[in-house]
Amino acid sequence: MDSFWVLNIWFVAILMFIGIYCLLTMRNLIKLFIGIEVIAKGITLALIATGFAKNNIMIAQSLAITFIVVEVSVVATALAIIINIYRHTGSLDIRKLTKLKG
Amino acid sequence: MHLFLLIGLVAFSILAILLRDLLKAAISLAVASIFLSVIFFRLNAPYAGVFEISVVAGLITVLFVATIALTRSEGDVRESKLPMILFPFFFVAFISIIINILIVRHLIQIPTVSIPPVSGSFGEILWRQRTFDIIGQIGVIFAGVFSVLALFRSRGRNG
Repeated sequence: MDSFWVLNIWFVAILMFIGIYCLLTMRNLIKLFIGIEVIAKGITLALIATGFAKNNIMIAQSLAITFIVVEVSVVATALAIIINIYRHTGSLDIRKLTKLKG
Repeated sequence: MHLFLLIGLVAFSILAILLRDLLKAAISLAVASIFLSVIFFRLNAPYAGVFEISVVAGLITVLFVATIALTRSEGDVRESKLPMILFPFFFVAFISIIINILIVRHLIQIPTVSIPPVSGSFGEILWRQRTFDIIGQIGVIFAGVFSVLALFRSRGRNG
């Protein structure tokens, strides 16, 4: 593998770390979702960088576009769920969701 | 140049998770998307760059800002300060581990699979070579639309 691909994958790993750190430490629901978005950016960058290194950029682009469409669907659903949670509990704190325990 | 773009992407992603104001965090995420789309243009992937800049930096940011405006509760979630203080230490530790694993080249012996480059224009690959997964993609889009509709309709029925 060439060094350009390794550089890109290195930054993909950093983006993954940032997103997972956000998911593990934050308490605001919207902040958690921003962490998921950061992970999604890393995945898209990995797809395109690997396609560029393999000289198959067209397939990588079509996969990235598919992933972006799925990402938008997930974002719309998750933000609707977050708004509903806010209307039920009056807060965006993830610790308030422990009321769901049986 | 490419390195600066990657550093900008990571810097704005860090800002997006560390800023306390949610609106500023969402805008930082959009700026990170713009950096990512410029990277795509430089990697000879213009279609993915256009999608990234229009959908992720545009539509998703609008959805985030609408959600933040609808919830209006930036003050009620008390984030503890410890994760933000500890973040640089974890970050440096992670980067040093990654340098040890990835930059020291003999540790990664990833087998290179030689795939011949696919010929044809982007439209042919996107529409003709993908057949069954387009059905899945349409299913995902409909799932998103119907879930949003169902969530808001049930709220209206309950009052």
